[in-house]
Amino acid sequence: MSLDSYRFLDFASRQVMKAWAARQDYDGIPFTPMAKPLHACTVALVTTAGVARIEDRPFDQAGERRNPWWGDPSFREIPLETSERDVKLYHLHIDPRFGEADLDVVLPMRRLAELASEGVVGSPARTHYSLMGYILEPEELVEKTAPAIARRMRAEGVDAAVLAPA
Amino acid sequence: MGLVQRVLEASGLPTVALSMIPALTRAVGVPRLAGIGYPMGQPFGKPYDAEGQRAVLRATLALLTTAAGPDTYVELPFEWPESPARARLASKDLPPPPIVELLRKKPWLLPRLYGGWIPRPHEGAHSG
Repeated sequence: MSLDSYRFLDFASRQVMKAWAARQDYDGIPFTPMAKPLHACTVALVTTAGVARIEDRPFDQAGERRNPWWGDPSFREIPLETSERDVKLYHLHIDPRFGEADLDVVLPMRRLAELASEGVVGSPARTHYSLMGYILEPEELVEKTAPAIARRMRAEGVDAAVLAPA
Repeated sequence: MGLVQRVLEASGLPTVALSMIPALTRAVGVPRLAGIGYPMGQPFGKPYDAEGQRAVLRATLALLTTAAGPDTYVELPFEWPESPARARLASKDLPPPPIVELLRKKPWLLPRLYGGWIPRPHEGAHSG
């Protein structure tokens, strides 16, 4: 790996993340081959920028401030037509202003729609998804949140997903 | 995020992740990963740079087609136009994340974070 993964991080965060990476262990890596060509796929996006629509329930920042070892493991649906005017970013570990100025910085739904009109992908999904990015205790995320997102994607006919941290 | 990707992939959906910290994402075992040397908070590029964002998304999507098997990792050829110091400076006025504030006050708790010894929610509030 030639890319310096930690270039933009301060020294302390870098050390902690390296320690976390060294401790990860997994049992096999899942792999699902593409069932159809990309230009025929409905594609959904997932961001961990903690994006929520203003009229939706906010991610629990107060809970994380009370207990900094905890991160809100819930998710929010972001409909395709949502823009930066309709959302707030609740992730406490990033500068939310970039994504709030232009939502495509973290959740590029307009870019995806453009790639669909270029014929690169089939179509953007009707719904996209947002999570908080800092969750040290991932049990609920893995046991409940991610399976719920998978079910909704399936119900909407999603063929492939792009995930991006923030 | 890598953990969520694993669940989606295992449920029968092909997935690809973009990551600014690919070493960390890859460490949890993900099927397709695109690493990018961009700062946190701006994974697809700068605000209003539609062309740049589209290029990153297009390159990330390409992995869905090119990956022949799990643990496919590609480094995207995009360069951030600012130095890390300058990128950090743009967010200097923000308060630090709660965990950083806590560890500044109680640095003896750092080994917990470093060692991954995370207090469960019910004990977290009294963790020292």
